[in-house]
Amino acid sequence: MEPEIGNFETEMNRGFLQILVLALLEKDMYGYSMVRTIRELGYEVEENTLYPLLRRLEKNGWVRSKWDVSEDRPRKFYAITDEGRTLRTQLLAIWKKQDEILKHLMEEKSHV
Amino acid sequence: MFEKLEAYLEEISHFLSGRGEREEILSEIRSHILEKATQEHGQVTDASLDKVIAAYGPARRVAEKYLDGRPIIAPAYKRYLFRYTTLLFAVHTLLTVIGVIFKESFILFPFLFMPRLGVIEALMYLPTAFLTDLGVVALVLYFITQSGKDVRLPWPRLGVDLDEVKPPNKNVLLSRIGTAVGAVIMLAFTDFALYLFAKHQTIFFVNLNWNDPRPLFTPEAGQRISLVVIAMFAASTIALLFKLFMRSRWVDIGSGVVSLALIGLLLRQPFENLFAVNIAERFLPKIKFGLRFMLLFIASMVTVKLIKNVVCIGRKKLAK
Repeated sequence: MEPEIGNFETEMNRGFLQILVLALLEKDMYGYSMVRTIRELGYEVEENTLYPLLRRLEKNGWVRSKWDVSEDRPRKFYAITDEGRTLRTQLLAIWKKQDEILKHLMEEKSHV
Repeated sequence: MFEKLEAYLEEISHFLSGRGEREEILSEIRSHILEKATQEHGQVTDASLDKVIAAYGPARRVAEKYLDGRPIIAPAYKRYLFRYTTLLFAVHTLLTVIGVIFKESFILFPFLFMPRLGVIEALMYLPTAFLTDLGVVALVLYFITQSGKDVRLPWPRLGVDLDEVKPPNKNVLLSRIGTAVGAVIMLAFTDFALYLFAKHQTIFFVNLNWNDPRPLFTPEAGQRISLVVIAMFAASTIALLFKLFMRSRWVDIGSGVVSLALIGLLLRQPFENLFAVNIAERFLPKIKFGLRFMLLFIASMVTVKLIKNVVCIGRKKLAK
């Protein structure tokens, strides 16, 4: 029987999405443009998940936001802060280490 | 103004907490939906809004993603909810029983006011007392959880720990045979008591000479007490017969409630002019005290069992 992947995927995505958003925000972006960019990269993100995440990142000072009302439709732009960059470096280091451990384990297994 | 969009945002707003952030969140969602409708469907129409809103998700699910997800009661304290409620309810029940027996109201300031209650009123009062106790304990655990502190809650190792109460692991067939034998014995007792009552209007005698029986109690008291005792026998018999076919704790709860009500009726008996036989005056107070103490002891045992069954059912429902 195939294992139910849904919940596991959601849990894995939670951490990945934080790194992805912090990586994307090197240049200012608004929510919808982030959704589209992520989709173009071949990954799917639920719109209703992205905005609460941005909100949490902003509350912690890792991103900042600003409404742009110069055009017909107001848009809220997000940008990474210096604290956000530090966090991103740390998260990437963790992710890299986890990746190395898994690769090492898989290689060991394939040699057995 | 797009009515469908505003209705959707209104619905999300209903589920959101924190008034300060609400407008900001709704503006963000409004902006996103209008942007997506324009970019992906060419223009904002009712039809395009329907599609975009459907893709964004049900209002409650959207709102829940903004909540921080802190539990009302931390998982580590959940087991204490029923532990402490059990303790509190046991005290509450004991005080209720004492209040009924001594026909007094009393106050344990500032925690409890026990009004003067009759047996039936007490039975009506106890479920409310249970809910109040549950609410009080839940409130305390809520404040502890929200404080974020690691509070070590005390729990005595003495006595029965309801967490460790497990269903009996006996052979079902043996258990059924035991219940059947018990039911037959109780049925025989009930029948014999009914036979005695029909013949002599009492079931309590001071001798065993059936040709010339001497009743223990005066006719009026003997009749009342006999009827209550026969009712207790009948209730036990019915409970055992039910248990032959269904292994539900509700049977024990029903039987416990009936027993408590009947014991209450016995305790409310006037203890004056009770005996039909001559008993020395100096022994009477001691006998009356002994009778009251025995009934109170039985009532306490029944109450403990009743609470245990109620808590076990509650825990089972919570676990589900």
